[in-house]
Amino acid sequence: MEHPILFISIILEKLGLPVPHGPVGHGILEQLCAPYMTYTWLVMAFLFIVAKLTLSNLEMVPGKGQNFWEIVIGGMDDFFADNMGRRLTDQFFPMLATFGLYIAVANLIGLIPGFMSPTASINTTLALTIIVWVSHHFIGFREHGLHYYKHFMGPMWWLVPLMLPIELISNLARLLSLSIRLFGNIMAKETLLGILFMLAGAFFAPLPIMVLGVLVSLVQAMVFVLLAVVYFSQAQEHAH
Amino acid sequence: MSDVKKELMFLLGHYGHIGITFVASIFIGMGAGILLDQKVFDGRTAPWFTFFGLAFGIAAGFKSLFDILWRSSKNMEKKTDEEQ
Repeated sequence: MEHPILFISIILEKLGLPVPHGPVGHGILEQLCAPYMTYTWLVMAFLFIVAKLTLSNLEMVPGKGQNFWEIVIGGMDDFFADNMGRRLTDQFFPMLATFGLYIAVANLIGLIPGFMSPTASINTTLALTIIVWVSHHFIGFREHGLHYYKHFMGPMWWLVPLMLPIELISNLARLLSLSIRLFGNIMAKETLLGILFMLAGAFFAPLPIMVLGVLVSLVQAMVFVLLAVVYFSQAQEHAH
Repeated sequence: MSDVKKELMFLLGHYGHIGITFVASIFIGMGAGILLDQKVFDGRTAPWFTFFGLAFGIAAGFKSLFDILWRSSKNMEKKTDEEQ
Protein backbone atom coordinates (compact mmCIF):
# COMPACT_ATOMS: atom_id res chain seq x y z
CA MET A 1 0.00 0.00 0.00
CA GLU A 2 1.02 3.56 -0.62
CA HIS A 3 2.73 5.19 2.32
CA PRO A 4 0.50 7.97 3.66
CA ILE A 5 1.86 11.50 3.33
CA LEU A 6 2.02 12.99 6.80
CA PHE A 7 3.19 16.57 6.71
CA ILE A 8 4.57 16.69 10.26
CA SER A 9 6.73 13.66 9.55
CA ILE A 10 8.00 15.30 6.36
CA ILE A 11 8.84 18.52 8.22
CA LEU A 12 10.61 16.57 10.94
CA GLU A 13 12.60 14.62 8.35
CA LYS A 14 13.65 17.86 6.65
CA LEU A 15 14.78 19.11 10.05
CA GLY A 16 17.00 16.05 10.31
CA LEU A 17 15.08 14.25 13.04
CA PRO A 18 14.74 10.47 12.76
CA VAL A 19 11.19 9.48 11.79
CA PRO A 20 10.50 5.76 12.10
CA HIS A 21 9.23 4.04 8.96
CA GLY A 22 7.94 0.96 10.72
CA PRO A 23 5.24 1.00 13.38
CA VAL A 24 7.76 1.32 16.24
CA GLY A 25 11.04 3.21 16.24
CA HIS A 26 14.37 2.33 17.85
CA GLY A 27 15.71 4.68 20.47
CA ILE A 28 13.85 7.33 22.40
CA LEU A 29 14.13 10.15 19.84
CA GLU A 30 12.79 7.99 17.05
CA GLN A 31 9.90 6.88 19.26
CA LEU A 32 9.11 10.49 20.12
CA CYS A 33 8.99 11.34 16.41
CA ALA A 34 6.59 8.51 15.54
CA PRO A 35 3.55 9.91 13.72
CA TYR A 36 1.04 9.06 16.43
CA MET A 37 3.15 10.97 18.97
CA THR A 38 3.59 14.08 16.84
CA TYR A 39 -0.09 14.14 15.92
CA THR A 40 -1.04 13.69 19.58
CA TRP A 41 0.91 16.85 20.32
CA LEU A 42 -0.81 18.56 17.41
CA VAL A 43 -4.23 17.68 18.83
CA MET A 44 -3.15 18.82 22.29
CA ALA A 45 -1.86 22.11 20.88
CA PHE A 46 -5.07 22.54 18.89
CA LEU A 47 -7.24 22.07 21.97
CA PHE A 48 -5.07 24.43 24.04
CA ILE A 49 -5.01 27.14 21.39
CA VAL A 50 -8.72 26.96 20.54
CA ALA A 51 -9.67 27.06 24.21
CA LYS A 52 -7.29 29.96 24.78
CA LEU A 53 -8.61 31.91 21.80
CA THR A 54 -12.27 31.44 22.62
CA LEU A 55 -12.17 31.56 26.40
CA SER A 56 -9.44 34.10 27.13
CA ASN A 57 -11.97 36.77 28.15
CA LEU A 58 -15.13 35.37 29.71
CA GLU A 59 -18.15 37.63 29.51
CA MET A 60 -21.54 37.65 31.15
CA VAL A 61 -23.23 37.75 27.75
CA PRO A 62 -21.37 35.02 25.89
CA GLY A 63 -20.11 35.49 22.35
CA LYS A 64 -19.88 32.78 19.69
CA GLY A 65 -16.88 30.90 21.08
CA GLN A 66 -17.99 31.00 24.66
CA ASN A 67 -21.49 29.85 23.67
CA PHE A 68 -20.07 26.79 21.96
CA TRP A 69 -18.01 25.79 24.97
CA GLU A 70 -20.89 26.41 27.35
CA ILE A 71 -23.07 24.00 25.36
CA VAL A 72 -20.37 21.34 25.11
CA ILE A 73 -19.21 21.52 28.73
CA GLY A 74 -22.73 22.00 30.11
CA GLY A 75 -24.07 19.04 28.13
CA MET A 76 -21.26 16.78 29.29
CA ASP A 77 -21.69 17.92 32.88
CA ASP A 78 -25.42 17.14 32.84
CA PHE A 79 -24.80 13.77 31.26
CA PHE A 80 -22.15 12.76 33.81
CA ALA A 81 -24.27 13.98 36.72
CA ASP A 82 -27.25 11.94 35.49
CA ASN A 83 -25.21 8.78 35.24
CA MET A 84 -22.79 8.82 38.15
CA GLY A 85 -23.96 11.45 40.60
CA ARG A 86 -22.90 14.98 41.37
CA ARG A 87 -19.99 14.17 43.69
CA LEU A 88 -18.12 11.86 41.32
CA THR A 89 -18.81 14.24 38.47
CA ASP A 90 -17.18 17.11 40.32
CA GLN A 91 -14.16 14.97 41.04
CA PHE A 92 -13.67 13.35 37.64
CA PHE A 93 -15.17 15.84 35.23
CA PRO A 94 -11.83 17.34 34.08
CA MET A 95 -10.41 13.92 33.22
CA LEU A 96 -13.46 12.54 31.42
CA ALA A 97 -14.24 15.74 29.53
CA THR A 98 -10.62 15.95 28.40
CA PHE A 99 -10.78 12.36 27.19
CA GLY A 100 -13.99 13.06 25.28
CA LEU A 101 -12.69 16.21 23.57
CA TYR A 102 -9.28 14.71 22.88
CA ILE A 103 -10.67 11.51 21.37
CA ALA A 104 -13.23 13.39 19.27
CA VAL A 105 -10.64 15.77 17.82
CA ALA A 106 -8.07 13.00 17.40
CA ASN A 107 -10.57 10.85 15.50
CA LEU A 108 -11.77 13.68 13.28
CA ILE A 109 -8.31 14.96 12.40
CA GLY A 110 -7.61 11.75 10.48
CA LEU A 111 -10.23 12.67 7.89
CA ILE A 112 -8.09 15.56 6.60
CA PRO A 113 -5.47 14.46 4.06
CA GLY A 114 -1.98 14.90 5.47
CA PHE A 115 -3.09 14.18 9.01
CA MET A 116 -3.48 10.91 10.89
CA SER A 117 -5.55 9.96 13.89
CA PRO A 118 -3.40 9.34 16.97
CA THR A 119 -6.17 6.99 18.09
CA ALA A 120 -5.45 4.74 15.10
CA SER A 121 -2.50 3.47 17.14
CA ILE A 122 -3.10 0.93 19.90
CA ASN A 123 -0.54 2.74 22.09
CA THR A 124 -2.77 5.80 22.45
CA THR A 125 -6.01 3.93 23.06
CA LEU A 126 -4.44 1.46 25.48
CA ALA A 127 -2.93 4.33 27.47
CA LEU A 128 -6.34 6.02 27.74
CA THR A 129 -8.00 2.73 28.69
CA ILE A 130 -5.45 1.91 31.39
CA ILE A 131 -6.05 5.30 32.98
CA VAL A 132 -9.82 4.68 33.03
CA TRP A 133 -9.40 1.11 34.32
CA VAL A 134 -7.04 2.07 37.13
CA SER A 135 -9.19 4.99 38.19
CA HIS A 136 -12.37 2.91 38.34
CA HIS A 137 -10.63 0.50 40.73
CA PHE A 138 -9.33 3.51 42.63
CA ILE A 139 -12.90 4.78 43.03
CA GLY A 140 -14.01 1.33 44.18
CA PHE A 141 -11.33 1.09 46.85
CA ARG A 142 -11.94 4.63 47.99
CA GLU A 143 -15.70 4.14 48.32
CA HIS A 144 -15.75 0.69 49.91
CA GLY A 145 -12.27 0.23 51.37
CA LEU A 146 -11.25 -3.42 51.46
CA HIS A 147 -14.90 -4.49 51.12
CA TYR A 148 -14.50 -3.70 47.44
CA TYR A 149 -13.63 -7.39 46.97
CA LYS A 150 -17.36 -8.15 47.41
CA HIS A 151 -17.90 -6.75 43.92
CA PHE A 152 -16.08 -9.80 42.60
CA MET A 153 -17.75 -12.42 44.78
CA GLY A 154 -21.14 -12.81 43.15
CA PRO A 155 -24.53 -12.81 44.89
CA MET A 156 -24.18 -15.91 47.11
CA TRP A 157 -21.28 -17.36 49.07
CA TRP A 158 -21.47 -20.85 47.54
CA LEU A 159 -21.20 -19.36 44.06
CA VAL A 160 -17.82 -17.77 44.84
CA PRO A 161 -15.61 -20.42 43.14
CA LEU A 162 -17.68 -19.99 40.00
CA MET A 163 -18.21 -16.25 40.08
CA LEU A 164 -14.73 -15.08 41.09
CA PRO A 165 -12.96 -16.16 37.87
CA ILE A 166 -15.90 -14.96 35.78
CA GLU A 167 -15.90 -11.54 37.41
CA LEU A 168 -12.13 -11.23 37.13
CA ILE A 169 -12.15 -12.22 33.45
CA SER A 170 -14.98 -9.86 32.59
CA ASN A 171 -13.22 -7.05 34.44
CA LEU A 172 -9.99 -7.65 32.55
CA ALA A 173 -11.98 -7.88 29.32
CA ARG A 174 -12.93 -4.24 29.82
CA LEU A 175 -9.29 -3.30 29.46
CA LEU A 176 -8.99 -5.18 26.20
CA SER A 177 -12.35 -4.38 24.64
CA LEU A 178 -12.37 -0.65 25.40
CA SER A 179 -8.97 -0.12 23.82
CA ILE A 180 -9.38 -2.46 20.87
CA ARG A 181 -12.82 -1.13 19.93
CA LEU A 182 -11.62 2.46 19.62
CA PHE A 183 -8.37 1.44 17.93
CA GLY A 184 -10.10 -0.97 15.54
CA ASN A 185 -12.80 1.45 14.44
CA ILE A 186 -10.43 4.31 13.78
CA MET A 187 -7.73 2.21 12.17
CA ALA A 188 -10.31 0.59 9.91
CA LYS A 189 -11.52 4.03 8.85
CA GLU A 190 -7.97 5.21 8.12
CA THR A 191 -7.03 2.07 6.22
CA LEU A 192 -10.22 2.07 4.18
CA LEU A 193 -9.73 5.72 3.27
CA GLY A 194 -6.13 5.03 2.28
CA ILE A 195 -7.08 2.09 0.08
CA LEU A 196 -9.93 3.97 -1.59
CA PHE A 197 -7.67 6.96 -2.24
CA MET A 198 -5.16 4.68 -3.87
CA LEU A 199 -7.72 2.80 -5.98
CA ALA A 200 -10.15 5.48 -7.12
CA GLY A 201 -9.16 8.74 -5.48
CA ALA A 202 -9.72 10.65 -8.73
CA PHE A 203 -13.39 9.60 -8.77
CA PHE A 204 -14.10 10.79 -5.19
CA ALA A 205 -14.56 7.21 -4.03
CA PRO A 206 -13.47 7.99 -0.43
CA LEU A 207 -16.12 10.67 -0.05
CA PRO A 208 -18.97 8.47 1.30
CA ILE A 209 -16.55 6.78 3.69
CA MET A 210 -15.46 10.22 4.90
CA VAL A 211 -19.08 11.07 5.70
CA LEU A 212 -19.38 7.82 7.63
CA GLY A 213 -16.02 8.58 9.21
CA VAL A 214 -17.39 11.75 10.81
CA LEU A 215 -20.20 9.70 12.34
CA VAL A 216 -17.88 6.91 13.52
CA SER A 217 -15.42 9.39 15.01
CA LEU A 218 -18.04 11.17 17.09
CA VAL A 219 -19.83 7.98 18.11
CA GLN A 220 -16.62 6.29 19.21
CA ALA A 221 -15.55 9.29 21.29
CA MET A 222 -18.99 9.33 22.90
CA VAL A 223 -19.00 5.58 23.55
CA PHE A 224 -15.60 5.72 25.23
CA VAL A 225 -16.72 8.42 27.64
CA LEU A 226 -20.10 6.75 28.22
CA LEU A 227 -18.47 3.45 29.15
CA ALA A 228 -15.95 5.18 31.40
CA VAL A 229 -18.87 6.84 33.20
CA VAL A 230 -20.71 3.51 33.51
CA TYR A 231 -17.62 1.79 34.95
CA PHE A 232 -17.13 4.60 37.45
CA SER A 233 -20.73 4.44 38.60
CA GLN A 234 -20.59 0.63 38.87
CA ALA A 235 -17.46 0.83 41.02
CA GLN A 236 -19.20 3.35 43.25
CA GLU A 237 -22.38 1.29 43.71
CA HIS A 238 -22.81 -1.23 46.50
CA ALA A 239 -22.14 -4.85 45.66
CA HIS A 240 -25.25 -6.88 44.98
CA MET B 1 -30.91 16.35 26.66
CA SER B 2 -34.05 14.71 25.35
CA ASP B 3 -35.04 11.20 26.39
CA VAL B 4 -34.87 9.82 22.88
CA LYS B 5 -31.31 11.03 22.48
CA LYS B 6 -30.30 9.58 25.83
CA GLU B 7 -31.86 6.25 24.91
CA LEU B 8 -29.99 6.29 21.60
CA MET B 9 -26.71 7.03 23.35
CA PHE B 10 -27.27 4.17 25.77
CA LEU B 11 -28.08 1.73 22.99
CA LEU B 12 -25.18 2.83 20.79
CA GLY B 13 -22.74 2.70 23.66
CA HIS B 14 -23.67 -0.64 25.13
CA TYR B 15 -24.72 -2.68 22.17
CA GLY B 16 -21.88 -1.34 20.06
CA HIS B 17 -19.53 -2.50 22.78
CA ILE B 18 -20.91 -5.90 23.74
CA GLY B 19 -19.64 -7.80 20.71
CA ILE B 20 -16.02 -7.02 21.31
CA THR B 21 -16.38 -7.48 25.08
CA PHE B 22 -17.66 -10.99 24.44
CA VAL B 23 -14.67 -11.84 22.26
CA ALA B 24 -12.22 -10.21 24.67
CA SER B 25 -13.63 -12.26 27.58
CA ILE B 26 -13.18 -15.51 25.68
CA PHE B 27 -9.64 -14.60 24.65
CA ILE B 28 -8.62 -13.57 28.16
CA GLY B 29 -10.12 -16.72 29.71
CA MET B 30 -8.47 -19.03 27.21
CA GLY B 31 -5.20 -17.09 27.34
CA ALA B 32 -5.09 -17.47 31.12
CA GLY B 33 -5.80 -21.19 30.75
CA ILE B 34 -3.03 -21.67 28.21
CA LEU B 35 -0.64 -19.66 30.37
CA LEU B 36 -1.41 -21.87 33.39
CA ASP B 37 -1.02 -25.05 31.36
CA GLN B 38 2.15 -24.23 29.49
CA LYS B 39 4.10 -21.85 31.69
CA VAL B 40 3.05 -22.55 35.28
CA PHE B 41 2.60 -26.33 35.08
CA ASP B 42 4.95 -26.93 32.10
CA GLY B 43 2.33 -28.77 30.07
CA ARG B 44 1.75 -31.47 32.70
CA THR B 45 -1.90 -30.47 33.14
CA ALA B 46 -2.60 -29.78 29.47
CA PRO B 47 -5.25 -29.48 28.16
CA TRP B 48 -7.41 -29.14 31.29
CA PHE B 49 -6.71 -25.55 32.34
CA THR B 50 -7.13 -24.46 28.74
CA PHE B 51 -10.60 -25.99 28.65
CA PHE B 52 -11.59 -24.56 32.03
CA GLY B 53 -10.25 -21.16 31.02
CA LEU B 54 -12.24 -21.30 27.80
CA ALA B 55 -15.40 -22.27 29.68
CA PHE B 56 -14.91 -19.47 32.22
CA GLY B 57 -14.19 -17.03 29.41
CA ILE B 58 -17.42 -17.91 27.62
CA ALA B 59 -19.31 -17.66 30.92
CA ALA B 60 -17.76 -14.23 31.53
CA GLY B 61 -18.83 -13.13 28.07
CA PHE B 62 -22.41 -14.13 28.77
CA LYS B 63 -22.22 -12.50 32.18
CA SER B 64 -21.28 -9.14 30.68
CA LEU B 65 -24.10 -9.54 28.12
CA PHE B 66 -26.64 -10.21 30.90
CA ASP B 67 -25.26 -7.30 32.91
CA ILE B 68 -26.13 -4.97 30.05
CA LEU B 69 -29.58 -6.53 29.63
CA TRP B 70 -30.34 -6.15 33.35
CA ARG B 71 -29.05 -2.62 33.35
CA SER B 72 -31.21 -1.65 30.37
CA SER B 73 -34.33 -3.29 31.85
CA LYS B 74 -33.66 -1.44 35.12
CA ASN B 75 -33.43 1.80 33.14
CA MET B 76 -36.77 1.03 31.49
CA GLU B 77 -38.42 0.38 34.86
CA LYS B 78 -37.08 3.63 36.23
CA LYS B 79 -38.43 5.50 33.24
CA THR B 80 -41.92 3.99 33.50
CA ASP B 81 -41.95 4.77 37.23
CA GLU B 82 -41.11 8.37 36.47
CA GLU B 83 -43.83 8.58 33.86
CA GLN B 84 -46.53 7.29 36.17
